[in-house]
Amino acid sequence: MNELQRWLGSSQILLKISCLLDFLYRMAPVLLLWLAVCLSGTWAVDRGNFKTCDQSAFCKRQRALKPGESPYRALLETMELTNTRLTLQLINDNNKVRLLLELYRLQGNITRVKINELKPLKPRYEVPDVLIREPPTEPLSLLSQDENGVVLSLGAESQRVIVSARPFRLDIMEGREVLMSLNSRGLLAFEHLRMRKDTFSYKVTSTVASVWDNIKRVFSSLDFSLPGVEHVYGIPEHADTLRLKTTDNGDPYRLYNLDVFQYELYNPMALYGAVPVMLAHNAQRTTGIFWLNAAETWVDISSNTAGKTVFGKMLDYVQGSSETPQTDVRWISESGIIDVFIMLGPTPNDVFSQYASLTGTQSFPPLASLGYHQCRWNYNDQEDVQSVDAGFDEHDIPYDFIWLDIEHTDGKRYFTWDPHKFATPKEMLQGLMDKKRKMVAIVDPHIKVDSNYKIHNEIRSRGFYIKNKDGGDYEGWCWPGSAGYPDFTRADMRAWWASMFAYDQYEGSMENLYTWNDMNEPSVFNGPEVTMHKDAMHGAWEHRDVHNLYGFYVQMATAEGLIQRSGGVERPFVLTRAFFAGSQRFGAVWTGDNAAEWDHLKISIPMCLSLGLVGISFCGADVGGFFKSPSTELLVRWYQTGAYQPFFRAHAHLDTPRREPWLFGPENTALIREAVRQRYTFMPYWYQQFYLAHRTGQPVMRPLWVEYPQDPATFALDDEFLIGRDLLVHPVTEEGARGVTAYLPGKDEVWFDIHTFQKHNGAQNLYIPVTMSSIPVFQRGGSIIPRKMRVRRSSSCMEHDPYTLYVALNPQRTAEGELYIDDGHTFNYEKKEFIHRRLSFANNVLSSVNLAPDAQFTTGSWIERIVILGASKPSKVTLKAESQIEFEFDASMSVLTLRKPGMNSGADWTVTLQ
Amino acid sequence: MRFLIIISAVFCYGFVDSKKIRGISSSYKRFYRERKSFLCIDGSKIIPFEQVNDDYCDCEDGSDEPGTSACPRGRFYCTNLGFRPHYIPSSRVNDGICDCCDASDEYNSHAHCQNTCWNLGQRERAYVEGQMRTLDEGLRLKQQLIEEGVLLWREKQAQLRELQQVAEDLQIKLEEHRRRKHEADRLKEQTLKALEAADSGLRHQNSTVTSIFELLDSNKDSSITVDELQAKVALIHDEERVLSEDEAVALLGGGRQMDLTKFRHTLWDILTKGDSVKIKDTHGAPGSLVGEDLHLEAADRAAKWEATNLKKVEEAYDTVNMEISDLRKKLAIDYGTDWEFLFLNSQCYKLKVYEYTYTLCPFNQVTQKNTAGTEVSLGKWGMWAGTPKNQYSQMVYENGEPCWQGGSRSATVTLTCGTETALRSVKEPSKCQYIMDFQTPVACQPVLKQRGIHSEL
Repeated sequence: MNELQRWLGSSQILLKISCLLDFLYRMAPVLLLWLAVCLSGTWAVDRGNFKTCDQSAFCKRQRALKPGESPYRALLETMELTNTRLTLQLINDNNKVRLLLELYRLQGNITRVKINELKPLKPRYEVPDVLIREPPTEPLSLLSQDENGVVLSLGAESQRVIVSARPFRLDIMEGREVLMSLNSRGLLAFEHLRMRKDTFSYKVTSTVASVWDNIKRVFSSLDFSLPGVEHVYGIPEHADTLRLKTTDNGDPYRLYNLDVFQYELYNPMALYGAVPVMLAHNAQRTTGIFWLNAAETWVDISSNTAGKTVFGKMLDYVQGSSETPQTDVRWISESGIIDVFIMLGPTPNDVFSQYASLTGTQSFPPLASLGYHQCRWNYNDQEDVQSVDAGFDEHDIPYDFIWLDIEHTDGKRYFTWDPHKFATPKEMLQGLMDKKRKMVAIVDPHIKVDSNYKIHNEIRSRGFYIKNKDGGDYEGWCWPGSAGYPDFTRADMRAWWASMFAYDQYEGSMENLYTWNDMNEPSVFNGPEVTMHKDAMHGAWEHRDVHNLYGFYVQMATAEGLIQRSGGVERPFVLTRAFFAGSQRFGAVWTGDNAAEWDHLKISIPMCLSLGLVGISFCGADVGGFFKSPSTELLVRWYQTGAYQPFFRAHAHLDTPRREPWLFGPENTALIREAVRQRYTFMPYWYQQFYLAHRTGQPVMRPLWVEYPQDPATFALDDEFLIGRDLLVHPVTEEGARGVTAYLPGKDEVWFDIHTFQKHNGAQNLYIPVTMSSIPVFQRGGSIIPRKMRVRRSSSCMEHDPYTLYVALNPQRTAEGELYIDDGHTFNYEKKEFIHRRLSFANNVLSSVNLAPDAQFTTGSWIERIVILGASKPSKVTLKAESQIEFEFDASMSVLTLRKPGMNSGADWTVTLQ
Repeated sequence: MRFLIIISAVFCYGFVDSKKIRGISSSYKRFYRERKSFLCIDGSKIIPFEQVNDDYCDCEDGSDEPGTSACPRGRFYCTNLGFRPHYIPSSRVNDGICDCCDASDEYNSHAHCQNTCWNLGQRERAYVEGQMRTLDEGLRLKQQLIEEGVLLWREKQAQLRELQQVAEDLQIKLEEHRRRKHEADRLKEQTLKALEAADSGLRHQNSTVTSIFELLDSNKDSSITVDELQAKVALIHDEERVLSEDEAVALLGGGRQMDLTKFRHTLWDILTKGDSVKIKDTHGAPGSLVGEDLHLEAADRAAKWEATNLKKVEEAYDTVNMEISDLRKKLAIDYGTDWEFLFLNSQCYKLKVYEYTYTLCPFNQVTQKNTAGTEVSLGKWGMWAGTPKNQYSQMVYENGEPCWQGGSRSATVTLTCGTETALRSVKEPSKCQYIMDFQTPVACQPVLKQRGIHSEL
């Protein structure tokens, strides 16, 4: 009863499972009543189901350690310095256990610090597959050495690392400035593996208890001090503000992938994914810490300025007595080693490339996946799919993907179709293909234990399931009932899984069918905290070692499957709920099971911004909110916001009323249509931003401070954001809003309202009156944005359409932009089949030059219109100094529109204003 | 051969038309007469005529680009000779998807569109003919059902009147029986009171000397003996104790027995004074006293008899009234202007969809039964909820079994014209909200027929 109650009370299941329990519902009213009692008042997350630091033994123990003198000492005599690394031993004076410190200088201004036991009883887990390669090193050189420590040079930029011996600490300096200190607060702790002493006195519940039983939680922890830093960001996934809060008065931020039922906002509880990367920023410098550990991890943040009032700070300043602001961070992990990458910036973009050089960049998504996605749990049958599809045409709203949730399968057996409701999936997919549209079907990693199910039989017979601690196949409870969990940490398992997506294996699949991996935390309804038991076995490793990697591997294998089925030609699209550092390489992420509430709309911005900062650009929140039913106003506002976020998908819970865009009266249909259409006009820009993200690791959706790192007014902004550099979006996220106040950054910059072309100066808070149709979006003066204004049924229908260039002039009357074109769906861009142009406006000449002369691609798309914002009226406009171009000039807004210049988008050309 | 001629005629016509101004209907031709300039239809702008259909949007209303995809608000006219002409949004021109059956929308795309208008037209005509036949047949059946409905309505009305008559009769009967019962009760009451007077009434002078004498004279030999006195009379202050023989003799005036005449002058006075002795058990066992009274017994029997009779009549009356109320409720439902939907009442229609069997009992309820046989109510009759034009096109059934997430199940039934009365489809687009397609001749509308003829042929 207690166990049952725990899992019933606990999670997820309650609502999602309602359909499964429906039969119980009807057959056992008493049970129902009991359930109803259990359910009542459990709308919000039941915190009791999830651990606090106090309830997590290692976190509590570790947090109990207070800053002080570290018991660790560096044994300088053990130092070995080779061309690529420095090693030396550390000793804990309390227990004489020795650790091995490795220090690397990596290419691109990154320092790697590894700490492991010198002689562990057995190897400790080191996270594989997340780094895209063994990071290339650069030579370290010894600058000086005495009995107190050593000083090493970190390359040319007067950067040094000082290793102090007693107590052990590391300081990274640039000139006279300390950038970051490790163990300066003496919180390094590294529990060593030990044999159990008390085998006999301890109650052994399992018959095959291993000798490791008692020493599983061999936590590691390290503190970092960041002098001069008041703003830290990252470590998603949390439903919290963009700027991380100090955690002195509450729990640390937790990183432990969990299926949290109806998560609460503005707190540090763990959610579906974990990226242990933190960015620290001040007006001078941006740095990053990448803590490569896949076990349960807690992050404590404290600051010496937290809690100080503005007046207090000012007083400090006036009196000159101010201590330097400083943020201290402590990372605590349950197992594994300390392996930390210190990214030294100095600019935000430098940190992005540094991190990208370690874990890779955002995968380049198929163009269509940047369009609008229509999802619901569930579209009931093929007829339903067809009628929703027809509804979009009838109401002239574009969309690219329609989605099928778990009910499409034959009894929650993934890779199958319900024989009645989806009897002819290929027919359905062909119907979508005829309209150049696509579908996503869900494939979750839990596999129904059923000897008549091919997938299960194969996984079982190949021994691919995760094992329980007794060696049998681990079984948990999930959608299908009893389910096994394939061991995705195994490369051979992943290869097999990928092969299941082949067209001849996945019956009913076609090239326009893509995949959604849900529940891959993994979600185990009857497991502790709705996830897997930590003592489940992945080969030699325990689940606790690899937990946060599971979802990463599931998406990796699935994406690989989609690539393989096309013979390596087509780009995959895979959406995942759980993720880890490096997940950006495999597809998109969404913020999980949110709710139809205004605060959930608001939080979608910081949640996606935080993900973008740590490499995961392809992020979105369920438009409309998953749980509950949105008011019409909220739904419209959510469409307007989602239209300007990277992954744009509406989704709804099974128990909510239908909410396809045309169900709320013609006025609201028109508002939603307009929002979606705006999205489609910007598709070339979105695509180009993703290309950039793929090439450089820069986030697509960015906090303002990334582009205005010296403007403190931007540091905590998370109700507005940038797309690339050039679009600033301040969506309306307040109920009944009459206006919003947007901060337009840039002292000498101007911004143009994309709807009215009204010009506004930068570095101001601008009040914008709004109506229900308003989506405040601004184009940066100095930018050129290519758009496609002929919005069609789907993005594929717009492939050959002409471009309109929006040239927004800055006060110096110049502008720059890019245009990227390829086939939109294959890997051929890797074979240089694309067009990449630089568009620039200066001295009244707009020109297009080739940024990739060695690349080749032909397009039929031409330039149909050029709109120059902030222009003055020319007397004549010529193309290539030959033919004249007709134009119109709107003096009231200073908008010059060039009519039908007509050149091919891939060609060299110049347009001259005279 | 004839087919080919028609096809080529269609082709030629289409060609000539599109060569002029692509994408407009003949009724719009007047806006596009070739001149030097073109006035946007909304009057907002004048442009050179060459800019009509030049693949650049000049007019806010899109009227300069009826044949291209250039204008966001434009529309393209599919002539669709042989089928039905219609407009599509400009955004569907040359998007690689065949929208017009005459393929005219994809004149410059990679889509290889066939002219399918003739086939579509044929299919449509066949369909319309089928629909017409259905409609004719449906309307004929509907007429029958209307007639039956009228009869049924009358029958029900008659039934109601009959029942009301019965009720009235019963009412009279009821009054009569109530009166009789009342009378019997009164009689019984009287008798009982008389008896009571014989007991406690002694002190109140309400009983006759004779009846008290008879009461005391247990063996009815017209004389009261010591034994009889000891059995029936007790001391007021010591009820429990049986009178001693001496005391009894004293009360009997010194003798061992006493006749009525003597009683009247001696013991009667003592008893009526009521300060020393009294008659025992007057309240302790009235039944026995009453039972012993033949008058009372008869009165009681009569009262019971009348009560039973009354109850029977009352029951009959209630039953009839319930029937009347049921019937009234049924008759209060709106069965259409001609009572054409009346026949549906008391009928049920079933349909199996996947693992569920749905049952619609019009004007009553909707249920769903799973393969295990568990039945769930999807709603009870609520109301008509059709369009203002035809409110009888949709029914709503509400307040079915509660849902997991709150609220209750409900079903919306759309009525469509058909020659049979049957449940055609059931869907659950959102959880607990069912929509059903219910076909019946009575949903056939003559207006539909007229409209059909105009638009389809």
